[in-house]
Amino acid sequence: MKILIADDEVMSRKMLQKTLERAGYEVTAVENGRLAADQLCPPDGPRLALLDWVMPELDGPGVCREVRQRKDQSYVYMVLLTSREAKEDVVAGLKSGADDYLTKPFDPEELKARLRTGLRILSLEDRLVEAREDMRFRATHDGLTALWNRGVILDLLGRELARSRREQVCTAILMCDLDHFKSVNDTYGHLAGDDVLRETAKRLVASVRSYDFVGRFGGEEFLVVLNNCNPAFAFARAEEIRKTIAQTPVPSATGLIPVSMSVGLLLSHDWGHLRVEELLPEADAALYAAKAAGRNCVKVASPRLSSPDSDSQDRESVRMRR
Amino acid sequence: MARPHYVEILGSARKKEKYMPKAIMDLTELLERVENDRELIRELLLIFKEEFPIHLRALRDAVDSMDGKRVAAEAHIMKGMLSNLAAGSAAGAAARLEQLGRSQEVSEFQEACASFESLSKKLLLHLDTCMAEVCG
Repeated sequence: MKILIADDEVMSRKMLQKTLERAGYEVTAVENGRLAADQLCPPDGPRLALLDWVMPELDGPGVCREVRQRKDQSYVYMVLLTSREAKEDVVAGLKSGADDYLTKPFDPEELKARLRTGLRILSLEDRLVEAREDMRFRATHDGLTALWNRGVILDLLGRELARSRREQVCTAILMCDLDHFKSVNDTYGHLAGDDVLRETAKRLVASVRSYDFVGRFGGEEFLVVLNNCNPAFAFARAEEIRKTIAQTPVPSATGLIPVSMSVGLLLSHDWGHLRVEELLPEADAALYAAKAAGRNCVKVASPRLSSPDSDSQDRESVRMRR
Repeated sequence: MARPHYVEILGSARKKEKYMPKAIMDLTELLERVENDRELIRELLLIFKEEFPIHLRALRDAVDSMDGKRVAAEAHIMKGMLSNLAAGSAAGAAARLEQLGRSQEVSEFQEACASFESLSKKLLLHLDTCMAEVCG
């Protein structure tokens, strides 16, 4: 464990350093408060610190205040080490953000015991952060495929559309649907169906750029958002995705499962300022057209060819047969 | 040759207290504080011998100039050094000077400084003996 010692008095610094090195700490020692704050503020800095109260440049409480002002970084456990022991000094020290207070000259056993307390607090913080990150992941990702979930992918799409309008570039929406997925479940079982969904997710993610978005939209439906792309690129990428899914059967416990995917492609710059909820039915209509054209193909949503409302019943019947 | 056990060293230090009065420097306490690291004591004593006289001269200068802030600052540093060496009496005298400096009790400076210098002189005279006894 890394620990920072800040003390302007060389003998104290040396004694602390030796004591802590013997106890297995990786010690960095500095001689003033400014250097201490500079060491503690970066994200990968030490998370344990022993700070002398009276120091040049910046005193111990000043270091505590500076470190506590940082946001979104790991907690640093700070112990003020000083000969001051009046009650008001203790209060002032703790008020500045210090976690503990030790009087000099220090007793090595007490020092190590206090630092063990610090380590317990840091370990607790690590576990809490881990749990929070786990919950954050669960709240934003699909449990089966680990893709963005429906709510998040729609939110990301909304932001991306707004950005593309501001910057006058094109965003491509790919509404993707596995063909005959119901028969995969019926023939190979639902666990094999899950394998197909997971493998499809992997292939989709591998087919796009790191800054594009892939989400699970529904059962066997996926939504891919390609940022800042021209029509030729978007179509080529949609075709690539279709081929990637179709060319290799998915391995599962019950054998290789042949799969294919239909894709409805929509290019935002063809559609003016329509909102997400207005664009998605158009992308869905293109997907419907791909299904109607025999599946395993890509169809582009065009404002000129946009189906009137009377087609909605036909779309629904194709949806039932997907 | 094997190093003497910690308890033996502490025993030896206690015997030496007749030569090194506890009032000047408590070797037993010092050994405990450094967890019997005699090499560290040697290093500390060398640092002390080099640094302490510099601060002592700076303190004298501050006292003669009646500069309370500097008196407090120098006395604070020396109090820390002396405490680390378990030199309780001298550390106490430094603490008094620090307090006088902080409260600007200029009229007390000379007397307190003279007393501190006297204790420091005794301590400095004992350092070589101490190094020989503890570090061999």
